[in-house]
Amino acid sequence: MADTLGAPSRAATRAAGVLGPVTMVRIAIVAAIVLIWEAAAASGLFYRDVVPSVVAVARALVRVLADASFYWHLSVTMLEIAAALAIGGTAGLVIGIALGGSRLLSKAIEPYLYYLGPTPKIIFFPVLIMLFGIGPGSKVAMGAISCFFPIVLSVAAAMRQIPLVLIRVGQSFRAGPWDMALKVYIPAMRHPIINGFRLGLGIALIGTLLAETKMSNRGIGHLIIQAYALFDMPRMYAMLIILFAFAIGANSLLARAGKADGTMG
Amino acid sequence: MSVLPLPKAQAAADPILAVDDIVMEFPTPDGVVKALDHVSLSVRAGEFLSVIGPSGCGKSTLFNIVGGLQRGYQGRVSIGGEAVEGPHPAIGMVFQEESTFPWRTVLQNVEFPLEISGVAKARRQEMARRFIAMVGLGGFENRYPAELSGGMKQRVAIARTLAFEPKILLMDEPFASLDEQTRLLLGDKVLQIQQELQQTTLLITHNITEAVQLSDRILVMTYRPGRVKRILDIDLPRPRTSETIGSEAFGRFVAQLWSDLRDEATRGMDEQQELMRNAGRGP
Ligand SMILES: Nc1ncnc2c1ncn2[C@@H]1O[C@H](COP(=O)(O)OP(=O)(O)OP(=O)(O)O)[C@@H](O)[C@H]1O
Ligand SMILES: [Mg+2]
Repeated sequence: MADTLGAPSRAATRAAGVLGPVTMVRIAIVAAIVLIWEAAAASGLFYRDVVPSVVAVARALVRVLADASFYWHLSVTMLEIAAALAIGGTAGLVIGIALGGSRLLSKAIEPYLYYLGPTPKIIFFPVLIMLFGIGPGSKVAMGAISCFFPIVLSVAAAMRQIPLVLIRVGQSFRAGPWDMALKVYIPAMRHPIINGFRLGLGIALIGTLLAETKMSNRGIGHLIIQAYALFDMPRMYAMLIILFAFAIGANSLLARAGKADGTMG
Repeated sequence: MSVLPLPKAQAAADPILAVDDIVMEFPTPDGVVKALDHVSLSVRAGEFLSVIGPSGCGKSTLFNIVGGLQRGYQGRVSIGGEAVEGPHPAIGMVFQEESTFPWRTVLQNVEFPLEISGVAKARRQEMARRFIAMVGLGGFENRYPAELSGGMKQRVAIARTLAFEPKILLMDEPFASLDEQTRLLLGDKVLQIQQELQQTTLLITHNITEAVQLSDRILVMTYRPGRVKRILDIDLPRPRTSETIGSEAFGRFVAQLWSDLRDEATRGMDEQQELMRNAGRGP
């Protein structure tokens, strides 16, 4: 073997049918959480059903997953988040490139973005309802505004990190602004862009769900707040678990997109 | 008495690339740095001209100005008599720094200039493969730069610029990261390609042997501010084999350049040390 010093590669571990150390740690953490949760539920220290037993949550999970209307609500939320990420992400990418490419624009505008970035976007929600109605439109807008900020800031910063020589190569071959953006800037920033979108995804999800819990008649956020109003805690936790699973799945899909050229590791 | 002053006048009247009286200053926090001080040169069609000078004398600055990538200079750059205002289609540049696109394979890197000029895919892949083979990288078309050695990446960059099919090839220390043998071999290769494609070449270097081996003329620059110290005609026969390199005439050119450059390099080092001492003393 060539690398007798290094740890066995991940592929080799998988081929041998043994779980990698990362997977083992993850399983251990989940198991620990389940155990602590169950202990807390059994202890009776918490008010009524705030911490229901794991069994009750699992039962609720099965019930939710067997309910056809749940999938309709889930798809509403997923589409809202996808639209929010597409709109907020595209705007963030375009404006980020403009800011990163112009010292003037960046000096004039970026400070405001840094102040607005951490502001809870829910304060815009009443205005968004007036603009886009109480339907999915206002939820998409909430998600889009939320994810715009981390994406625009990470793209603007990444623009300034592009090695000057790569820009000069593009210019020396007489690439126009459009070719420069598509064939030099964006690919040169692929890793920060994907990281920006991963961050943006989480924030779009929070924004969209938060909007759904405020005023709506559909979506997972709506179901969660309904379960809470009925004090059906197991059902509420079941839906949070499903949401988590989706967020993790989407995130790892994005992460995989960044590894396509084998330079991100 | 009608002797025509032909050869010299004709050569001077026929420069494909002319640099006239360039002055370039950079504002820095410690005052203005004069990188180029009234530099002029002209390159004839098909000529191989090298610019040699100590580190920091303004070679890359000159390279960027001729390539149309650096603004804010005084003076004039012209190609075929026409003033250059920006990147020119007749000029192809190979940069000093590592400049391959890490997200593109070797083939895709070399295709880049052809993509920009709108060549159809099949045609541009065929052309790219030809230039990749020319620099001796056939078989590596689908590798990413991260999988190549420094010298191989530099050859990809050279192939990419050749694919642009420039009339004038500008190269800024393209062989700096290579060992001596590879440097000689690749230099020969570039010379061969240059003659095949009838390109005019402006090579920036600080390697004396390389300059004498490859050039028709060598321009020696002074340390800051960069000025033209001397222009040497290298009238050695071509092709320059290893025998030529071992010859006495070759040795004389090397010795001449050595003494020129030693003076400049010494002056440069002294100046830099002086600067550091002054900075250390503080205000
Ligand atoms: N953008 C810039 N701002 C300020 N000073 C600069 C800038 N570019 C170059 N200089 C200065 O101009 C001088 C010439 O630099 P240049 O890069 O042209 O040198 P060089 O001859 O190519 O050196 P080397 O052989 O080390 O590559 C140096 O003193 C450098 O510090
Ligand atoms: Mg240089």
